[in-house]
Amino acid sequence: MGFITESLRTSAALIVSLDPEVFATVTTSLAVSCCAIVLAALIGVPAGVVVGLHDFPLKRAAITLLNTLMAMPTVVVGLLLYGILSRQGPLGTMGLLFTPSAMVIGQTLLAVPIVANYTVGVVQGADPRILPTALTLGAGPLEGVLQLLRQVRFGIVAALIAGFGRIIAEVGVAMMLGGNIRGYTRTMTTAIALETSKGEFAFGLALGLILMTVALAINLFLNTLQQR
Amino acid sequence: MNSIYCINELTVAFGGRTVLDLHRLVIDGSRLHILTGANGAGKSTLLNLLAFLTPPASGEIMFDNAPVPWGSPSLFRLRRQATLMHQFPYLFTGSVQENVAYGLRVRGMTATEQRQRIAEALAQTGLTGFERRNALKLSGGEVRRVAMARALALRPRVLLLDEPLANVDYETALLLEELITSLPQQGICVIMTTHEPNHAERLGGRTIHLVSGRIVQADGAAEGPGPEAVSPVVPPPRSAVV
Repeated sequence: MGFITESLRTSAALIVSLDPEVFATVTTSLAVSCCAIVLAALIGVPAGVVVGLHDFPLKRAAITLLNTLMAMPTVVVGLLLYGILSRQGPLGTMGLLFTPSAMVIGQTLLAVPIVANYTVGVVQGADPRILPTALTLGAGPLEGVLQLLRQVRFGIVAALIAGFGRIIAEVGVAMMLGGNIRGYTRTMTTAIALETSKGEFAFGLALGLILMTVALAINLFLNTLQQR
Repeated sequence: MNSIYCINELTVAFGGRTVLDLHRLVIDGSRLHILTGANGAGKSTLLNLLAFLTPPASGEIMFDNAPVPWGSPSLFRLRRQATLMHQFPYLFTGSVQENVAYGLRVRGMTATEQRQRIAEALAQTGLTGFERRNALKLSGGEVRRVAMARALALRPRVLLLDEPLANVDYETALLLEELITSLPQQGICVIMTTHEPNHAERLGGRTIHLVSGRIVQADGAAEGPGPEAVSPVVPPPRSAVV
């Protein structure tokens, strides 16, 4: 018990003193995950709207695929992209492996199925009068969809929060594609794994606390939005 | 007769089941038309068709003597001439003013034009002073009046009203009735549905009676350019010129 208390005290000191290494790790984590969720939103929301609003022959298969991809292990995504981005891979010449860009690509792939799947549910569960109302008031096809998204924005925000929650907390992609390079691609989760294995429990705990704080902040943000 | 819609040999089907089967229907663009019929007769489907929201399974519909370009991205331009108020209108989140402004905004009107149109439409529906009210906190009658104001602000050529007088209090019904009967004089063609047989008499409109997706009676038959005359006799042919 004393060990945990001591670690908590040390971790609090690291956070309060804005330890440069902790700061760099947190910054990298947030930057990579924020970029990835923006890209995932740009891909996943339109994809979810298309699947949710339209009937097409392989719609059920598409939804099943999205459901399956939601549960895809992060290390599998990391492994596949490692093969593609490594020197022998088809995109090896781009030199992306062990860079934040590779981590963004990986995390985007992890978040897209979540964002798309949630969007499908939100769009299908939306009031069926929204789109016809917008259309009969003169909206064009795109304006109609934008109005629909505006009406279900809390659901879309929840989709993005869920996607962000998945990628900020993942370790497989960050480790395999980023390489856990100090000050460059080290994220909170890869640092926690490394520091704990080195016996630096307090450092790992500090990052764990920050990770939990980020999750709390996201949920508070969502609650605030929903109450407005 | 100034015909605005001309329908020929048209069907509408949902899931393979035909819900509307019209042989011929010509609609005068400067009158009040009242669609009657039991639940499931096809009244709302016909309104959705006339609002260009539901495409036909087969057949032709002409608007202003031109065929309707179903499936074309430019269909929204046609929709801007025929506005539908649903039986249970949906109000967008935001204020009453934002709701009434929506159609004006997508048409690219200036803020000044929007304000003027909104003020006029709210005055017409007895909602002056409601501008900043939360649209989601209105009573049922107020929702219907906001929806009516939202449609009137657009000054459409055709106003399609699905059961506008159902489930509203006496005063709202009177206000809406007065408004509905005054619109044809302003050059707006009004097509409304109702369950009440006395509405047609009271409002002085032309009646189109639907049974199981077919027109069985259409009074005020006129010299439409159709191949068949309209008969109010039951059982009638599937035809009408109104």
